[in-house]
Amino acid sequence: VTATAGQLPRRVLAGPGGVDLGSAIDLVGGVLKWVGAAFLVPAAVAVGYGEPVWPFLASAVITSAVGLALDALTGSKRGTAVGIREGFIVIAMIWLVVPAFGALPFLLGDVAQLSNPVDAYFESVSGFTATGATVLTDIEALDHSMLLWRQLTHWLGGMGIIVLAIAVLPRLRIGGRHLFERELAGPTEIERLGATIRQTARRLWRLYVALTAVAVLLLAATGWTGLDPAMDLFQAVCQAFSVMALGGYSSQNESAAAFAPVTQWLLVAFMVLAGVNFLRLWVVLVQRRPEVVLRDEEIRLYSAFLVFGAVLLAVELLAGAVTRGEATVRDAVFQSVSIMTTTGFATADYATWGSLAATTILLLMFVGASAGSTSGSIKVVRHLLLLKIVRRELVQAVHPEAVKPVRVSGAVVTERALRSTIVFVLLFLAIFALAAILLALDAERTDIALGAFDAFAASAACLTNVGPAFGFAGPYGSYAPFSDASTLLLSGLMWLGRLEIIPVVVLLTRGYWRV
Amino acid sequence: VRIVVVGAGQIGRTVIERLHGEHELTVVDLDAARLNALTYRYDVRTVQGNGASRRVLQEAGVPEADLVIATTARDEANLVAAMLVKRMSGARTIVRATNAEYLDAWREREIDVNFMVSAELETANAVARVVGLPAARMTDSFADGQVQIVEFDVPREANRVVRRPLRSAGLPRDSKVAAVVRAERMVLPRGDTTLEPGDRILVIASPAAAHEWARLLTSRDRPLESVAIFGAGAVGSAVAQVLLDRGVRVRLIEIDPERARAVAEALPAADVFESTGLEPEFLDRMRIDQSAAAVFCMHDDAKNLHAAILAKLHGVSLAIGVIDDPVSAAILERGGVDVTINLRDVAAEEMIRFAHDPRVRQIATVGTDFEVLDITVRGDSELANRPLHELADTSSLVGAIIRNGAATFPHRDDVLRPGDRAIVFVESRRASIVERAL
Repeated sequence: VTATAGQLPRRVLAGPGGVDLGSAIDLVGGVLKWVGAAFLVPAAVAVGYGEPVWPFLASAVITSAVGLALDALTGSKRGTAVGIREGFIVIAMIWLVVPAFGALPFLLGDVAQLSNPVDAYFESVSGFTATGATVLTDIEALDHSMLLWRQLTHWLGGMGIIVLAIAVLPRLRIGGRHLFERELAGPTEIERLGATIRQTARRLWRLYVALTAVAVLLLAATGWTGLDPAMDLFQAVCQAFSVMALGGYSSQNESAAAFAPVTQWLLVAFMVLAGVNFLRLWVVLVQRRPEVVLRDEEIRLYSAFLVFGAVLLAVELLAGAVTRGEATVRDAVFQSVSIMTTTGFATADYATWGSLAATTILLLMFVGASAGSTSGSIKVVRHLLLLKIVRRELVQAVHPEAVKPVRVSGAVVTERALRSTIVFVLLFLAIFALAAILLALDAERTDIALGAFDAFAASAACLTNVGPAFGFAGPYGSYAPFSDASTLLLSGLMWLGRLEIIPVVVLLTRGYWRV
Repeated sequence: VRIVVVGAGQIGRTVIERLHGEHELTVVDLDAARLNALTYRYDVRTVQGNGASRRVLQEAGVPEADLVIATTARDEANLVAAMLVKRMSGARTIVRATNAEYLDAWREREIDVNFMVSAELETANAVARVVGLPAARMTDSFADGQVQIVEFDVPREANRVVRRPLRSAGLPRDSKVAAVVRAERMVLPRGDTTLEPGDRILVIASPAAAHEWARLLTSRDRPLESVAIFGAGAVGSAVAQVLLDRGVRVRLIEIDPERARAVAEALPAADVFESTGLEPEFLDRMRIDQSAAAVFCMHDDAKNLHAAILAKLHGVSLAIGVIDDPVSAAILERGGVDVTINLRDVAAEEMIRFAHDPRVRQIATVGTDFEVLDITVRGDSELANRPLHELADTSSLVGAIIRNGAATFPHRDDVLRPGDRAIVFVESRRASIVERAL
């Protein structure tokens, strides 16, 4: 049998097993060539502020060129449908590769604090995964265009690169569903909107853009009306990108503390809003069916968690007499909302608060917001499912024969979904623990002062996509002291957390690669 | 009366047995042997063929028939037959249907059938009657179910309502007694009418008030605690649904894991157990003796018998067997089962009742004596904007008013406004007068 030119690369790239690597790489290339366009936004800002434009233009060209090259290399695979198997690896690759190209401007633009490629990559991963952990020690030293690029990575990654690609790129119409379900956070049912995957992706992004626009306007208005002297349009855009993605990067060294109380309350409101399932938000805001919210158990538990966290922190602040009056309430509410929704904005250095607050904050990291929102972590619906599983186990301890389907908001949850919830939470906690050990080990090796609590907190803050942790990595600190090995490990945690672990862990199983 | 029966299965045969004496019957069935056997027992005409076929129905004499009863086990075949009949003749139609959605659609008048009977639902009602809850049949509903017409049997022990004038009987709000059927006669009740045991009444009510009526007519002094149902098939689920609707706690025992799961998903309020129901240890653990009754509907009479006797040994006071074979009834009762209910008999019974006296049902459809009118009040109506009690007596009754999508159940001082939708009960001969007046 003679191999023709068209068949040869396919055979080579298909690999030894059942995974069609060729079409996976083709898809990554197809997405990557369009990611280049994102650099034009900071480029425009650079022009406006008279800052160097070429780092962004060069990044754009390199990114698109690599994308096109991958596309050309796997030309024979064009238009191949992506199966479940390829879906996992596409997602994993895109979320590794895109941040790598996203780090280019930091390196090309000679940002002093990010000259180490590992640090630049960390910063970019933290951006795209909407984590908000930073290695910068002086944020305000960056150019406007660099700052905006940082915030933009949050915004693009928040709702999802692939969800955006499905919304705009025609070729993802086939097989896009696997990708969509993998990327949209949490066990959500996407059929709810009664639309195709592409329409759903478009609606999500349209809503995301609209809410961001509202956030920009409201935030900027506090500046225009003189309520907040620190606020202007640029700051408003930066904070809005960050808050809607539940990211946590700020354009200010002092994070949200740089702004007036009214701005901080506004940020709280938008964090709470962005923490709601966007599919549900669409039903409420666009289809105008607000009654859906009242019946939704996830939203109810989400609100309960928010209130509970705020009360615990307020108790600590009042007992410790750290602040007084409105400021106490504001600090307690802001920090609990910011941590629980996995944002990572701060109005106070909670690392200096007492042990009740520290414990509360560490645990709030594991709550997360709703599935289908831009938040990370375990997410409220999984906590809800776990509660119900526990309750069922207790009933079945007395009545082993009892058949009790678990329901959320009246809808039955399949046993398969329950199993995957348990597995997810177990993996999540196992990785959290393992990473903490590794961080402590590496700190020992490199002689960094990392306390036991701080090791756990840093591991949690990255895996849950919160961002700021405790110790030197606290809200006003930086991850810079970590060694390169630890920095890479933490980047990996953010990546795992954003992809909700399973797509990545699947790649490590032998069954995945075998025919 | 000329009657065509489609389907000569258990229900069909019971219907034939009960009707062949006084009526002229034609039986349609696919199975020639079955039909042949039938002709040796009853003097009926038979046509072999598919009841959902035009040609076969023609041959069976549907164009000249007065009533067609479709009793096959397949809902869709019955419905197609009824559709064809409506096109071919003026015969009334009775259809057997199992699927609850068809029943709902029929009540909402989306399906043009005079009477629809569900064997499962009738059985469930029969079980409810046995455990002391009144039988209630929803016959019609309006305005997305906000207004229901429900038919009740008044039991002997319903001391709270019988022999008292309606206006002082403390009846549920948002409801009206629309008609009383006594000794085959139907009357529109007035404030001084009293209810007697054995009456059948038609109540027009909101869903909540209909529930209250069911409680009011209950013959039990204290509320029913819980009922155990063995077997969660179509019948078991229907029984569970009816009992749950009346606020009774229900425990379902089903051996098949998939079936148990499906029922647990469909009936969130029921407690479902995956078990054979034949293990003494299980029955003890679930405290079966504290159930007010146990219903056995496992579609296997030998198993039903075994489980029922076992449950009785464990202290169940009332064991009810649901069977579909007349021989089993004798066996179960001999074995010690307190009550047996024959699924097919119950369904056939309802069909025969309608065949004999269609007025009760027709009140909700095309009437002879009474009609339900669903009309919108015109702007220039002479009856609008006046309290109901001032209106001249027209042998009619305004059962409900639907205004801006919300239903109200009017009293004597209420007023009809232009644009209201009124649900009116009226004697047929006066229907046109009322219609014109509104």
